[in-house]
Amino acid sequence: MKTEAGMKTEAGMKTEAKTYLASLLAAHPALPGGPAAWLARLRAAALERANALTVPTTRDEDWRFTDLSPLYKTAYERAAAPAAPDRAAIEQRFLPEAGGRLVFVDGHYSAELSTPQEGDAYVGTLAGALRRDSAQLEAHLARHVDFEADPFAAVNTAFLQDCAVVHVPGGRKVERPVQLLFVATQAERVAYPRVLAIVERGAELTLVEDYLSLTDAAYFVNGVTELAIAENASLAHVRVQRESDKAFHIASSVASLARDARYAAQSVSIGARISRLNHGIRQGGEGTDCLVDGLALIAGRQLADTHSFIDHAHPHGRSRQLHKCVVDGAGHAVFNGRILVRKGAQLTDSAQSSRNLLLTGRAHVDTKPQLEILADDVKCAHGATVGQLDPEHVFYLRSRGLSEVAARNLLTYAFAAEVVDRIPVASLRGWLEAQVVERTHAKEPGG
Amino acid sequence: MSSTALQNLIEQPYKHGFVTEIEADVAPKGLSEDTIRLISRKKNEPEWLLEFRLKAFRHWLEMTEPAWPNVRYPKIDFQDISYYSAPKPKKKLASMDEVDPELRRTFEKLGVPLHEQKALAGVAVDVIFDSVSVTTTYKKRLAEAGVIFCSISEAVRDHPELVRKYLGTVVPQGDNYYAALNSAVFTDGSFCFIPKGVRCPMELSTYFRINTQESGQFERTLIVAEEGAYVSYLEGCTAPQFDTNQLHAAVVELVALDDAEIKYSTVQNWYAGDKDGKGGIYNFVTKRGLCKGRSSKISWTQVETGSAITWKYPSCVLLGDNSVGEFYSVALTNHHQQADTGTKMIHVGRNTRSRIISKGISAGQSNNSYRGLVKVGPKAAGARNFSQCDSMLIGDACGAHTFPYIQVQNDSAIVEHEATTSKIGEDQLFYFASRGIATEEAVSMIINGFVKEVFTQLPMEFAVEATKLLGLKLEGSVG
Repeated sequence: MKTEAGMKTEAGMKTEAKTYLASLLAAHPALPGGPAAWLARLRAAALERANALTVPTTRDEDWRFTDLSPLYKTAYERAAAPAAPDRAAIEQRFLPEAGGRLVFVDGHYSAELSTPQEGDAYVGTLAGALRRDSAQLEAHLARHVDFEADPFAAVNTAFLQDCAVVHVPGGRKVERPVQLLFVATQAERVAYPRVLAIVERGAELTLVEDYLSLTDAAYFVNGVTELAIAENASLAHVRVQRESDKAFHIASSVASLARDARYAAQSVSIGARISRLNHGIRQGGEGTDCLVDGLALIAGRQLADTHSFIDHAHPHGRSRQLHKCVVDGAGHAVFNGRILVRKGAQLTDSAQSSRNLLLTGRAHVDTKPQLEILADDVKCAHGATVGQLDPEHVFYLRSRGLSEVAARNLLTYAFAAEVVDRIPVASLRGWLEAQVVERTHAKEPGG
Repeated sequence: MSSTALQNLIEQPYKHGFVTEIEADVAPKGLSEDTIRLISRKKNEPEWLLEFRLKAFRHWLEMTEPAWPNVRYPKIDFQDISYYSAPKPKKKLASMDEVDPELRRTFEKLGVPLHEQKALAGVAVDVIFDSVSVTTTYKKRLAEAGVIFCSISEAVRDHPELVRKYLGTVVPQGDNYYAALNSAVFTDGSFCFIPKGVRCPMELSTYFRINTQESGQFERTLIVAEEGAYVSYLEGCTAPQFDTNQLHAAVVELVALDDAEIKYSTVQNWYAGDKDGKGGIYNFVTKRGLCKGRSSKISWTQVETGSAITWKYPSCVLLGDNSVGEFYSVALTNHHQQADTGTKMIHVGRNTRSRIISKGISAGQSNNSYRGLVKVGPKAAGARNFSQCDSMLIGDACGAHTFPYIQVQNDSAIVEHEATTSKIGEDQLFYFASRGIATEEAVSMIINGFVKEVFTQLPMEFAVEATKLLGLKLEGSVG
């Protein structure tokens, strides 16, 4: 609601927010004209839409707990491709299991670091994909993440250039995970990562999206991921966000599931000063099954916000969601889990759970599991808890000879492990387990 | 809604046999500072109360109608409402035979005692059950205990210092759009004061004041329990109420000092509109309790079955250490009714506890939303909350929604929220059928089981009537 009075008091902020979007768009270059006219039209439409929208403030219900004003203070320029990225540092994060691998540095595709695949399944850039099947891309690109009302998605689409495209043809099972690595190296720049994965009928894919940083400075990552999962296809999606502690990370990720499709996602947020993930799961047919897990592991003055939206539009859908937050220091975790069961989506079976662990007196959680049900023959449940480590559990471990600190660390680790353990890539799981220990562990006194 | 449609609703003759006499003492339509001065003058109010009203009005002018609730209704024209009219004398009916048979049938189904039926229907009450004498007896017993229970206008006249001390301390004038409107124009309501250490000798209910006062459009209730006092207050009744006012914006404020306890029960069965969703009352209420003292307790129990739109969140501000807030609710919607209701538990003090049990039942084409906030402030060490929200859907055209907001800023707090949505299972009905129980009765038993946790919180006779009321409201929506 924008009241007359509200307008007055917020005049400064509004103009600031307004100019913010305009200054982002001012950097809009005449993108190299691609081979496809539809792509140019799409970018133009998104640019036009972005110009018409304003960025959200805490007065918008969807952004009530996430104050983006630190982001609006300075509009960063779009990052240019870096001259020579630190190859060794990036290679450290290569997953040994991975088959195809695409590396984007500051939003630009790095051919020398990537291992694209051109065979049966395609793992590569937009340019290559356009040469293969332009019509198919047109049917999917910007069709899953709607930029009509979302200024960040609109700006991302307007700047759409180096998009990671993964295409698995019907019936094909991709054995090795595909890794998409987005590396930030430049301070005070903005990057627009974009992912499109198309998993065709009966195909299977494991996709790992990994965001990391080689700088400690502030920068802005504005990403969009679109996943199209066809009939009876299966996608395992792991998303790890480990930006610098000063960075801003805002991303939308939407999976569209056709009849009997399966989607299992684990999203882990560790970095960024302010991070926001809009995670959408759209059901486009009967009998879909999705697993949506989230883990936020934050400390200091970090804010991690996850807004998920599971849209049950057809009968016999099943969804399971477990979202966990471990909040240390003066961190602030936000979770809004919306589950909509539309009219006619009978026999939907949906369960959602939000579990939050506060490690200090200054940590802070806002959680809102939200059920909207318009069908009567459904099974829906949600639960939310916020609490600290159970003193009795700590006492039990101490009675077994563990120190106070060791007992607390063990329990914190166990809390986070429930999500980490479900990640299907062993090396990533190991790395994350180490992260949980490093990020949340109190040190032994005097040691 | 166009202003003419609203006009028609307002000017509708009092249904079901009641006649409103035309009287001259009505303020012209519209809301301005002059209207408020007129109300204040008519009621011979002191200067400070007029200031209170004007301040609220100035706040209101700067506010806009909230748009966040999950309810849809046409825009209300606030300039098309008359904000003051002197109490309307109702035409007394000679006997129960003159009462609308539909209303009588409802009374019978609810099992309302005969003398109460008469009081509610506006029938002149006979000698034995003379409500005036009943009221007098009650008033005497209350006075002996030191309890003040009167209308808010009387309280302003007789106990201005108490009203001034507490009015607007829980719901400030600028709290929200409808609370500001109420603060500016309220004309009637109840005031209740229980002095230190007194346990109110009886349940304070609206039953024995029903024929002296009609429930007002902008009602204001203020209940204060001093140290160690206890009171149980009942509002509304199970009998259907037909009212000419479409918009109801009431404010209820409760204040509990050290070790005091207030139990506030509501049964609301206002006109819900017809089967196609035409007409019906808009019930936009602000209810809030302040647990000001240590170890104080405020408990809300509500059974919401009427009104076209119900929009209310009885809340507890748990300020005192060790204070307790409770909320028990059954909200039933049928046909085209909409309900967006729930509670707010604001934990401020240490070791504060709250409990929320909410049961929503939707049938027909109705929409039923639970919206609740549990907020634990940074100083509320050891705060504890448990929330449970269950929804039941009857038919495939209705909706049940849950919007729980949980905000925790203290690591020693434990907050739990659980919600489920279900329907009456075929196998449950089959089990009943195999025991020789017909579907209609089986459904009523299942629903009674569903709401039992809340109904046990109601005073005995209310609970019995409320059970029957649910059955009555759901008639024809099952099977």
